[in-house]
Amino acid sequence: MITLIDGLSLGSIYALIALGYTMVYGIAKMLNFAHGDIIMVGAYAIMVTLAATVSPIAAIVAAIVICTILGILVEKLAYKPLRGASPLAVLITAIGVSYFLQGLAQLVFGSQPKPVGSAWKLPAIEAINSLGITTAAAVTLVCGIIIMIALTLFINCTRTGSAMLAVSEDRGAAILMGVNVNKIISITFAIGSALAAFAGMFYLFQIPNTEPTLGAMPGITAFTAAVIGGIGSIPGAMVGGVLLGVIEKFCLASPLAPYTVAIKFSLLILILLVKPTGLLGKVVREKV
Amino acid sequence: MGKINIKIKPKHLVNYSIVLVMLLIGVVMLETGNLRPSIAQLFTQIGYSIILAVSLNFVVGFLGELSLGHAGFMCVGAYIGGLSAVMLKQALGASAKLPVLVIAMLIGGLSAAVFGFVIGLPSLRLKGDYLAIVTLAFGEIVRNVFMNQKIFGGARGLTTGSLTYDTRRAPTLFIVTFIVALVMLIIIQNIVRSKHGRAITAIRDNEIAAKAMGINVTFYKLFVFIVAAFFAGCAGVIYAHTTTPVLYTFFSYNYSIEILVMVVLGGMGSITGSIFSAMFITIVNFMLQSQLSGDLASLRNLIYAVILIVVVVFSNAPALKSFREKYSLGALFAKLFRGKLSDPAKRKDDEAKWDRVPTKIKMDALLSTDLNVDYTPARPEDLNGGKEGK
Amino acid sequence: MKKTLSLVLVLAMALLVLAGCGGNGETGSVDGYTANNTEYFIGGTGPLTGDASSYGISVQNGANIAIEEINAAGGLNGVNFKFDIKDDQAAADKASTAYDQLFEAGMQIAIGSVTSGSCEAFATKAASDSLFFMTPSASAEICIQAPNAFRVCFGDPDQGVLAAQELVANYETIGAIYDESDTYSTGIYEAFEAEMANLGKEYTVKTFNAENNKDFSTQVEALKDCDVIFLPIYYTEAGLIAKAVVAKGSDAVLFGCDGLDGVAGQIDETVTNQIKYITPFDVNSTDATVSAFVTAYETKYGSKPDQFAADGYDAVMAIYEAMKAAGVNDVTIAPDALCEAVTAAITAEGFSYTGATGTMSWDASGAATKVPVIIELNK
Repeated sequence: MITLIDGLSLGSIYALIALGYTMVYGIAKMLNFAHGDIIMVGAYAIMVTLAATVSPIAAIVAAIVICTILGILVEKLAYKPLRGASPLAVLITAIGVSYFLQGLAQLVFGSQPKPVGSAWKLPAIEAINSLGITTAAAVTLVCGIIIMIALTLFINCTRTGSAMLAVSEDRGAAILMGVNVNKIISITFAIGSALAAFAGMFYLFQIPNTEPTLGAMPGITAFTAAVIGGIGSIPGAMVGGVLLGVIEKFCLASPLAPYTVAIKFSLLILILLVKPTGLLGKVVREKV
Repeated sequence: MGKINIKIKPKHLVNYSIVLVMLLIGVVMLETGNLRPSIAQLFTQIGYSIILAVSLNFVVGFLGELSLGHAGFMCVGAYIGGLSAVMLKQALGASAKLPVLVIAMLIGGLSAAVFGFVIGLPSLRLKGDYLAIVTLAFGEIVRNVFMNQKIFGGARGLTTGSLTYDTRRAPTLFIVTFIVALVMLIIIQNIVRSKHGRAITAIRDNEIAAKAMGINVTFYKLFVFIVAAFFAGCAGVIYAHTTTPVLYTFFSYNYSIEILVMVVLGGMGSITGSIFSAMFITIVNFMLQSQLSGDLASLRNLIYAVILIVVVVFSNAPALKSFREKYSLGALFAKLFRGKLSDPAKRKDDEAKWDRVPTKIKMDALLSTDLNVDYTPARPEDLNGGKEGK
Repeated sequence: MKKTLSLVLVLAMALLVLAGCGGNGETGSVDGYTANNTEYFIGGTGPLTGDASSYGISVQNGANIAIEEINAAGGLNGVNFKFDIKDDQAAADKASTAYDQLFEAGMQIAIGSVTSGSCEAFATKAASDSLFFMTPSASAEICIQAPNAFRVCFGDPDQGVLAAQELVANYETIGAIYDESDTYSTGIYEAFEAEMANLGKEYTVKTFNAENNKDFSTQVEALKDCDVIFLPIYYTEAGLIAKAVVAKGSDAVLFGCDGLDGVAGQIDETVTNQIKYITPFDVNSTDATVSAFVTAYETKYGSKPDQFAADGYDAVMAIYEAMKAAGVNDVTIAPDALCEAVTAAITAEGFSYTGATGTMSWDASGAATKVPVIIELNK
């Protein structure tokens, strides 16, 4: 039971990251490999602001602002010039951006893990803690659900959201309908990066250490989650993320623990072989 | 296959001679007693980097599928080939260095090729980003599995100390390495220039059209993955002969990226480019190892990242297309040898022209038009992606 | 046809070259790298960059202090020492390249490598050259198998056995968490496992993979009711486990090995659990040698030394003492000759060295015999 809660809470972190991947993929048709490293930048932003202001709220706000700006910047500088180029070229550039952010963080903050600081902690909540559930897990789970609901509402009930849906559905038609695709893509990157900042925040609640490679593994796992759920599909990312989180935690609790990584990724390969578009993905007919 | 008709093209000859020249320099230094073991080891590293870069280029540059798991194949070769070499050495005695290496290389290469087949299977149903992530996942799975096998030493790594090929007086492993590189060049270059090579590049340029032309896409995709994996496995066996212990940490995703940087820097689809950039990056790594200390070493990663971004953006950005065509090396050569190169049949037939690869999703062309200006219909050739028609 | 022929010729030439050189090859120059030495050259490799860089840099700093101390006191018969540590990023292939570079630069004796994996590569090369080395911190048994290999730190199995005995004697329910991806951690754990079986004591064990997973809630959840959790791991992960233990409301004692040295900087006042670890080095010790070292280190580097720094200091000092005992007085002495003399001196009856990590002596196995101390944090 507690493993399930832990798994759900880890899963909601994955789901938040996976949402960023899937939204960008759905709209810009590209795999933003650097997304995981935005989480890392968010975590460092929290650490630095916390050291300066001792206010967790300020730290969270700073992280969200910095990540959002960074997301838009990366899109403008690295990805926009390549729009229309081969998907392979875009993917390699994204890998380059990811490497760049990691290298930069290492240069600035050093490669050693750093504790985020003692001001970064959640109050104990007796009612939950007595059940064996940590506050961090509970907060992550609840906030994760709230953010996902808010995002679903945003996409389905606002004009910008409908424009995003339209662009991902049929870009050409969206352009003809007067949608400003460049703006929509920027907004998508901004939202995705802000979600990454939230993911970074929850990550730090569970693991209060920052390091330059912090985002790599959650990033890849979350991407796996997005692909399992069907990339481009927002409910798919949520399902995939939660599924992977739960599976990971149950693996760790079982005798198969040493093979957790192998199991996680084998699952990806299996699902893609059986259903190449993922669990909730749409089948796209390829035309010449 | 028909009759074997081997011709050496001038461009291929260039590649053979680069490797041969390095081999000869090494041998001359060895014979005159000037070859220090550290330099010999650098030669070996250059050799297996060339093998890795060219074989990855075969997948990325010629087949057009991004593989982020090349280090995984090397890992398979290093562990399985390394273990079999250790066992062979016990069976054959310490004097049989070369036979052990050759047999182990076959075993390591073949077992990597089996994994190449396994990874080739998803490539039949997936492509592009999906396949890239599957190969990445494969690399992680391989590492995770080997790490947990007691027979391969577990977290401690596979001890291959008894295999050390180089001695202080006779560091000769680089000779074997360059010969393997040469064999690989002969095989891959002759595949590339044969009808099979044209089939492979046809799949890269337009898979559906290739299928329609009756090309056996299944066969060729698997074939390319198997060949590339085989040579990456061989490189792994060589690695196991230079280093003890063989440890899973070496074959991380970062190493796959490093190989990819070599391919991208040298130019996708250019074998000569891959050879030169493999040499360049290995030498730079070798020199930086003792120069940068502390966290400054991350500068190296930063430089790789910048190389990746700048090279790819420059050579792919639609906006820079006209600039590239004016000032590229190819254009310079075309001016110099107008008569020779203007014949389309003689033009670089095995070099990827990434900027001309038609996009499969038609809408990408629409996106490349600047939407802040009044919307103008995209040029017909962009819309149709060159030769394609709906 | 002509081209086929040339291809065949190319291949034949390559094979000839191979046949010519693969077999005999007694050609390269080898001796005399040390002929131009004007100082005794101690070499070594360690991770100065990358994830494990803190260990390498500590060893480097500690060793530099020892070298300064030796040279200030007039060196060995008036000949100074020089020390060079090359970066190996804790990777075996880089360690063996670095070894060759050092050897060709005239290295006569070494402190080996800082981490176990690199040290195995270093030891393989050193064994074929008969070069004496005294590793400060590579604790895997394979590193000191050769007769020319010695170490300052405890071995992995020793710590595992000691921990098992200590835990069984003092606690009722025992849990353990180790890093299955790490040489050091699995080395200690395997010995611990064997000794626990030997003592007939049941315990619960959980693993993690530091490369991929740093969320310890699942492992801690399974072990939160234990009296003590054995952590044969490094301090950054131990700090995270300590926080996870607090979050789960467990009051288990955390018991670790020398890798836990430095955990105090990773935890804050919320962690009230008792933390104990086996270590040969106590930075707060009042012992004269230790406090002199700590003062010198703080003056030079502005921070307190950790155990790796102390190990690095001791490795260089022990080499110096052994060379003194062996009566070495030729600055151009070849590595193999030096190795023979120093090995004889260091394994001789009655040779012992007292440094920052206690008093130690060596036998032919290469392992140091010294008394472990168990340090307690929080109370």
